[in-house]
Amino acid sequence: MEKKEYDAVILGGGLAGLMAANTVAEHGFTVAVVSKVFPTRSHSAAAEGGIAAYIKGNSDPNDDPDFMSYDEVKGGDYLVDQNAAELLSQKSGEIINLLDLWGAPFNRQPDGRIALRYFGGQTYPRTRFVADKTGMALLHTLFEHASGFNNIDFYPEYYVLDIVKNGNNVNGLVAMQMKNMDPIYLKARALLIASGGLGMIYKHTTNSYINTGDGYGIALRSGVPLKDPEFVQFHPTGLYPSDILISEAARAEGGILKNNKGERFMAKYAPHKFDLAPRDIVSRSMTIEMREGRGFEGGYLGLDLTHLGKEYIMDRLSLAYDAAKTFAGVDATEEMIPVRPAQHYFMGGIDVDITGANSDLNGLFAAGEAACVSVHGANRLGSNSLLETLVYGRETGNTMVEFLKNHKNVEASDGTDKILDNAYKYIKRENGEHFGTLLNELRDIMWENVGIFRDKNKLEDAVRSIKKLKERSLNMYVTDKTTNYNTEVFNALETRNMIDVSLAIASAALNRTETRGAHFRDDFPERDDTNWMKHTLAYLADNDIEIKYKPVIVTKWKPEPRVY
Amino acid sequence: MVEEKEITVNIKKYDGKNDPYWKTYKVRADRYTQMTEVLRRIKTEQDPALAYRASCHMAVCGSCAMKINGFPRLACRTMAFDVMDENNEINLEAMDYYKGIRDLIPDIDTFYDRMYKVMPRLYADESVIAGENEQRMTPSEQKEVWKFQECIWCGLCVSACPSVRMDEKFLGPAAHAKGYRFIADGRDTKTEERINILMDSAWRCTSCYMCYEVCPQDVQPVIAIKKTKSYLNEYKGNTEVTEMARKHDDTVFDLINNTGKIKESTLYLKTFGFGEAIKDINYMRKEGKLKYALAKDNDVKNIDEIKKIMGDKK
Repeated sequence: MEKKEYDAVILGGGLAGLMAANTVAEHGFTVAVVSKVFPTRSHSAAAEGGIAAYIKGNSDPNDDPDFMSYDEVKGGDYLVDQNAAELLSQKSGEIINLLDLWGAPFNRQPDGRIALRYFGGQTYPRTRFVADKTGMALLHTLFEHASGFNNIDFYPEYYVLDIVKNGNNVNGLVAMQMKNMDPIYLKARALLIASGGLGMIYKHTTNSYINTGDGYGIALRSGVPLKDPEFVQFHPTGLYPSDILISEAARAEGGILKNNKGERFMAKYAPHKFDLAPRDIVSRSMTIEMREGRGFEGGYLGLDLTHLGKEYIMDRLSLAYDAAKTFAGVDATEEMIPVRPAQHYFMGGIDVDITGANSDLNGLFAAGEAACVSVHGANRLGSNSLLETLVYGRETGNTMVEFLKNHKNVEASDGTDKILDNAYKYIKRENGEHFGTLLNELRDIMWENVGIFRDKNKLEDAVRSIKKLKERSLNMYVTDKTTNYNTEVFNALETRNMIDVSLAIASAALNRTETRGAHFRDDFPERDDTNWMKHTLAYLADNDIEIKYKPVIVTKWKPEPRVY
Repeated sequence: MVEEKEITVNIKKYDGKNDPYWKTYKVRADRYTQMTEVLRRIKTEQDPALAYRASCHMAVCGSCAMKINGFPRLACRTMAFDVMDENNEINLEAMDYYKGIRDLIPDIDTFYDRMYKVMPRLYADESVIAGENEQRMTPSEQKEVWKFQECIWCGLCVSACPSVRMDEKFLGPAAHAKGYRFIADGRDTKTEERINILMDSAWRCTSCYMCYEVCPQDVQPVIAIKKTKSYLNEYKGNTEVTEMARKHDDTVFDLINNTGKIKESTLYLKTFGFGEAIKDINYMRKEGKLKYALAKDNDVKNIDEIKKIMGDKK
C-alpha cells in the first residue's frame, strides 16, 4: 500500500475542513485534505441564506454578542454548552472580516460595508450573505485561498475507509483513490474529521447525495461516541416534491407560510415571531397543519412571496425563485411555492470540546456538522451552521497547531491491512444483497419512525429494524468487480456508515424520554430539565448502542420556557 | 396525483478500455423528476455499477455535468420531461473534450489546471492584512464581482468551447471569468499581473458564445473576456496576438471616427494584414461568401456628431 506522511490529515474539503487546513498550514505544518469529492462539490456549497455575525460598528446599535449567545442558547432549547455559544458569538465578527480579506463577495450596504438581514430566532438582524448562495461563495473563497498554500496537498475523490490507530493515538487514515481503487495510507499524528452530515439516511432531505455520514461511521467504529445524535433538524421549506432547499431567507425577507385556507397559520403557533420562529417549531406546526387536513393535496403547504414584488425577489432570492421555477414549475412572483419539511441538519456529531478535540482518541479532532461542539444544542438556528464551520474550523485548527507542536511522531502501526480487508469483503462476496435494497429500506424507516414526531413504539420498531438491516448488511455484495471508478463499492461502504449512525440516532431518541428542540416525543411532550438537562454520548458496541451522559455547561442563562 | 410515465434512458457506457456502447434503461418518472433522480433510481434499482457524479442536486456544486441529448448540461438542473423526445427517450453521455474514465465520469483535471493558472484568489492590500485599514466595496462593484464568481467549476463551458480545442494557449471560458472577477474587485492588488496572464488569451476567444449558451449559472464567461480585452491599453506586454489586438482596436476607433461604421473588410485587412487576407479571400470565394465581404457600405451622414463623441472617448 502506498504511504504518505503529513503532520495533519483532514477528512473533508468543505468549509470546516478548509478553514482548519488554512489555519494549520499558516503555521508551516504539512496538511493533506482528503475528500470523496473535489472540494468545491462539498455540501457547504448548498448553504443558502447566510452567516450570522455580530460585527462591532456594523450591527444593530442595540445588539451585543451576549444577545446573540442568548438567542443560540434559547434556540437550542438549553442543551447548548453556553461557553461554546459565547465563543461562537464573540468570534463571529472577526471571522467575517477574515473572509472579506480572503475575497468573499458579501452583499454590501450603500456605504460599502457588509449588509445584513434577519433570520429565524434572531433578536436583532445579524445574517450576512452573498445573494442566496452564501455557502457556495464562501466555499469557493476558502478553497481558492487554500489552493495558494504549498504545504496543503489535496486528495480529491479519495474515499476514506477508517482511522489508523496506535493504542490510543491517532495515526492517520486509510483511503482509496476512487478512479483506480488504489489504497493509500495517509499517516499523520493529528486527524480532523470534517466530513459533514448525513441527510441521505432520510427519505426526504435537502442534503446532497454525498451526505452519507461517513465521518460518524468511521468515528463510531473507532470507539469514539456521537454526542446528542437524537437531535436531527427538519427544515420547514423543502421544495415539494424534490426536497430542494428553499432558504429561510425567503421567510426572512417577508415570505409567509399559508395553509389550504389561505391562513397565515404560524400566527397560531408563534404569535411573536410568526414564520421566523426556530425551525423545529415551524416544521412541527406545518406537520400539524397537514395532519389536520389543512395541507394541499399531495402533502404540502404554500410559501407566499408574491407580495414582495418581482424586482425584490430576483435581487435577494434569486436562487429560491430559480429553484421553484426549474424544479417545481412555479413562478414565485405569481404563485405560492409548494413546500414541506425535510431533513436538513444534524445537531449531533462526533463528541468534541470547545477546542475541537475529542477526549477518547489522542490526536482526533472534529469540526463543522461532523462535530458536536454543542453550540446548537437541541435545535440549530439558521445562519449558524456556516458560522460554526468557520469559527470552530479555525479554533480547531489552532488547537491542532498546539497539539502538533507538543506531540512528536507516533510509531508505525499495523492494522492498515485489516481496514482494507474489511472494505474488500463486499467485493469478494459473490452473492448477497445490493446496497440499494438496504438503503431504500433504511431511508423509509428513518423518515417514518425517527422523524419530526416520535414515540416509543415507532422508535422501538426503528431500532429493531435497523439492527436487522445491520445484520443483513454483513451479506452486502457488489456486482461490479472492476477497479475503474467503481462507485458501487463506495455506495456499499457508505451504506455501512449510514446503518451505524442511524442505529445511534434511533437508540438515543428512544432513550431520551422528553421533548426538547427538534426531538419531539408524542408520549413525552414536555421538556424535562430535572432529568434530561444532559448530553447523550452514544457508543457503538458490536450490534448495539451504549449510552453515557455528559453535563451541559451553563454560564449565564438558566432554562426558561421557550416561547416565540 | 401527478401523472407518471415510463421513460427510456440510453446511457453511453465506457469501461476505460473497450469501445463505449449504449445501454438502455426504463424508469418511471413524473414532471418533477430531475435527471439526477433518474440516475439515482437506475443505480439503486437496476444497475448498481452505473458510474456518474452527483452531489447537491440544486445546481450549486457542478458535479453532474454531462451531455443530455447531445447538449452540455447539469443533470440536476434538467427535468426528464423537458428533454425527452416524442418516444419518451433521453440520451446521456459524458462531456466532450475531457478524457473519459468510466460511463458518465470524465477526468476534468485539465479544467482545474486552467483555473489554477489565473491566480484564483484575492491578494488584499498589506495595510488591510495588518488590520490598519478596512475594505469596502460598493453594491454595484459587488454585483459585478459576484456575477463572475458564481461559476461552480462544472467544466461545461470548456467542454463546449471550440477555441479550447483549436488553441492550446487559450485558457478557456471559466478561467477567464475567474480571472476577470479579481480584476473587477477593488480589494485586489494584483491587477497588473492578472492582465499579464489574461490578455493574450482573451484575444484568442472567437466570441462564439457557446460558453454563454451552456453555462448553467448564467456566468457569461464571454462577457468577462470582452471586459478583460478592454484593459488592452494597460497591458505592457506584446505578443503576436495582442499586437493584432492593438491593430484591431485602433482600426475600430479610426473606422468609427472617420466613417461612423465598423467596416468589416477594412477591419480585417488592417488587423490581419494583406497576406492573411488573400488566403481567406480564396477560402471565402470557394464557400460563396465573398459577396458579403465586398458589399458596398455607405458612410453615415452626421459624421461630425460621431467625431465629437469619439473625441470625448479618446
